[in-house]
Order: sequence, then C-alpha cells, then structure tokens
Amino acid sequence: MSDAPILVVGGGPAGTSAAATLAEAGLPVLLVEQRDQLGGAIHRQVARGATHAVHAPARHRRNWAELAQRVDAAGSRIELCTGTVFLGVDGDGRHLLDDRESGRVVARSVRAAVIAVGAVEKIHPFEGWDLPGVMTAGGAQVLLKETGVPPTGPILVAGTGPLLLAVSAQLAKAGNPPVAVLERGRPWVRFNSLLRMAWAGPQLGEAASYVATLLSHRVPYRTGADILSVREDDVGLEIRVRRNGTVHRLRARHMLVHDGIEPNRVGIPLSDPGGAVPVVLAGDGREVLGADAAILDGRRAAREILARLGMRLPEPGEARLTAARNVQAALSDLFRSALPEPTPETLICRCEARRLSDFRSLPDDASTREIRLMGRFGMGVCQGRFCGPTIAALRGEAVPSAIPPRWPLRPVSLAALADLKTDDLES
Amino acid sequence: MMTRIFWNDYVVPFRPGETIAAALGRAGIINLGPAGGPARGRVFCGIGACQACVVAIEGGAPVEACLTLARDGLRIGSMPAVVVSDE
Repeated sequence: MSDAPILVVGGGPAGTSAAATLAEAGLPVLLVEQRDQLGGAIHRQVARGATHAVHAPARHRRNWAELAQRVDAAGSRIELCTGTVFLGVDGDGRHLLDDRESGRVVARSVRAAVIAVGAVEKIHPFEGWDLPGVMTAGGAQVLLKETGVPPTGPILVAGTGPLLLAVSAQLAKAGNPPVAVLERGRPWVRFNSLLRMAWAGPQLGEAASYVATLLSHRVPYRTGADILSVREDDVGLEIRVRRNGTVHRLRARHMLVHDGIEPNRVGIPLSDPGGAVPVVLAGDGREVLGADAAILDGRRAAREILARLGMRLPEPGEARLTAARNVQAALSDLFRSALPEPTPETLICRCEARRLSDFRSLPDDASTREIRLMGRFGMGVCQGRFCGPTIAALRGEAVPSAIPPRWPLRPVSLAALADLKTDDLES
Repeated sequence: MMTRIFWNDYVVPFRPGETIAAALGRAGIINLGPAGGPARGRVFCGIGACQACVVAIEGGAPVEACLTLARDGLRIGSMPAVVVSDE
C-alpha cells in the first residue's frame, strides 16, 4: 500500500495546493479534476480557442501562477487525471473515478484521500426559478471566464451577497452590463459589519473596484429587493420584484441568481483523518473561507495526511484561516436578510418536479426518510444539492447531513460500470 | 478556427476548448427542452452539480453540457421529459 498514491479530488486552489504540498514531501499523488484544465471555479482558465479574456484581480492571478508552477515542478510525482469525475468510495474502500474521455470507470486503491470539491451556490427558490434563461450567477461567471463573452440580451442579476457585484462588474467590462442588480439584503445599514469588514483588506479593494465599474456603467444596484416570481413569454422573462412594499415588473433575457454558497458535501465521504485510508476535506468544500484561504486549507489538509504518515510540516497559518473565518462571518452578517415565502406552485425539487404545495402536504413531523420516500424531495439526479438547503430552511433542520455518503455522486452509464477496471491486479 | 456540433437539427459552431454549454449559449440556445416537461433543461450551475444541463449524445451516455468539451460533428439533443404522476 505504501506505494499507492494519495488521491486528491478537485483541481481548484485547495486541491492543487494539497497535491503540490504532498508531492513536495516526496509522495506520489493522483490529482483528479472533472474539467479539462486545473483552476476550479475561481481560477477558471480561458478556453484555448477563445478570443477574449476576463480580467482577474492581480492577487488571484499571482496565486494561481504560483500553484500551477508548483504542480509543474512536481513533475511525475503528480499523476494528473483531467476530464475525470470522482464517483465516490465503493463498499471495498476503492475510490471510483469516471474517465469521461475513455468512457471507463476505474477503481483505485489509495493510501489517503483529500477531497477538495469546492462549494455549491445556494438558491432560494421563487416561482419560475426553473425556467430556461435563469442560471446561477456563479455558473454564468465561470462561463464568462471560459469564453470571455457575456450572454447576449438584457441580463438581470438578483439574490444576495458580494458575488452579485463581482459578476455584474465582469459582465459590464465584457460588454453587457446588467439592467439592474437586485440585492435582497441592506448592507449599507449594517454599520457594525461594515466596520468588521475593514479587516478584509484585499477583498475590500476588490469590492470597491467592482462598485466603481458598476457606477461607471450606470448599473442600478438596488437593496432590499425580493424576487416574487418569474414567467416567460415569447421574448424573454418577466420578473416581479417587491421593494419597499411596491411590486415592480422588470424584463430580461437572462436572470442570474445567487444566495451565497455552502460546502459541496452531498454524498461526499466523511472526514476521517484517523481511518485506515485517511480522508481529509479541504477548501470551500470543507468550510467556505474563500479562495485565498483555500490554498492554506489545502496545505493544512496535506499536513494532516503527512502527520498520519509520520512526517512533519510547519503549521500552515491557522491565524490566517481564523481571519478568513471572521471575514466570512462579517460578510454573512452584512448581507443578512429575511427570505420571502415562495408561492405554493414554486418548484422546490427541480429534478423530480416537486412543488412547495407537495412539501406542505407532507405531515409536519415527517422524518428525513419520509420527506425523501413519500415526498420524493432530494431523490433526483442532483441528489438534493439544490433543494436540500431549501428544505432545511423550511423545516428548520438540515436534511443533507442526515444522508450517509454513497456513490455514485454523479449519474454514470451502466456500460461504464459493467466494464469497471480495478487496479488490484496492477500491484 | 470554427468547428460545429449539432443540437437537434441546428448547426452550432464552437471554438476549440469550449464546452457544449458555451457553444449553445453563444448560439442563443437557452432552452434545452424537451417541450412540455414540467422542468426543461438549461445550463444552471455551470459546475456539474445540478444536472440540469445534461444532454443526450449520439452513441454515448448523456453528459453535462457545462463539463463536456464540444467535439467536431458531435450530435446532441434534449433528454426525455421527467414525468410525474399525479396520484
């Protein structure tokens, strides 16, 4: 087993940092990334044939250049598998990898695993959120980073949090400023949180540059705005918005929504640093601390694995992780707002087409199991990554955490599974 | 250099290294169908988590449009509708 590699899942800042740190300690690493290039969502690289690029803050460019250089320097100590989706751990403890290029599933025995699969955006549902033309702000941002080209036609950005500012400014710079940015919170009135944000030096500078871009493109930024519903007609989307007690109707071709992010944990193996095959989570997939902290957290995860193998590394900067935690806490307080009640017709679970009225028809004391088996919530192909937080909010108690890790994390073809390759014979 | 994929019967150009989602988006194809389903396909989360942009592919298993690179001549289309029975 000692020559088996350490698996690192996810090629964003946390995974790349963990992989480089482990390789630098002399260990073989298997780095698995679902996309064709490393970078993750934050450091998403532009597509080879793209003719435009999106400007990234200097600090992010510097951070990524350094990480990419470390992966290069590790040479053959890092076996890089791009275009490969992590499916989970099977009953025999083997880690299943779906190589999309060859259409094969490979089961690998590994010495330890670092899971760094990042965060998922939270979406507070409203009637019509499931319509074509509505997408997440983060999803639109990664597409913009890849192509350099914004969607055509009027764009409305809505929800809550600092990402709304970033995406809107990037869209404006790329040539299609949003018709409006609708923030549900009222960050200007939260003076205490604003003061606490003064500690977040680089992020504050970044936010200021986004605000300046929006001002220069005359993009209205409206706070205290609740999205009530969206409907589609022949020419696009009509969005009903409530602000200061008045209902407005806006039109757009695209609507970008975002209500913050949370760790992508649904179905993911549990952290088990003491196990026979140690498993450690890293980055925003462990705790949402942001891109800079993810690099440190990847190093922290690698250090934890190395400690299990009897190797010592200096402490990676817990103080900076704590500082990042304080910034995140101040941010969530800054944008804190009450969620509007969705209409009964609102789709809660898109995969299984289940509405709020379906959820309300379940008994009040329905167990997690009943919500799933009777209500069909969380049973679809996304495995509850999107309806999970909504149902948790509706019943005041988390659902996804009650679901044990299980594979496959993503739909996989039966043909690929039937043709499963294991590495048992290789060793 | 431009190459092309086929969305149902539409010809959709793409640039090298671009995903199916990026190519469909530039061509203005937002609705990934099918018509009449309670929830139609669309590119949503962009990171393979929501499965809303899964498309059918000729000669292979369905894939997430947001993760999968376009290849010249690829033929793709809508997934079958999700059917929910009203008991």
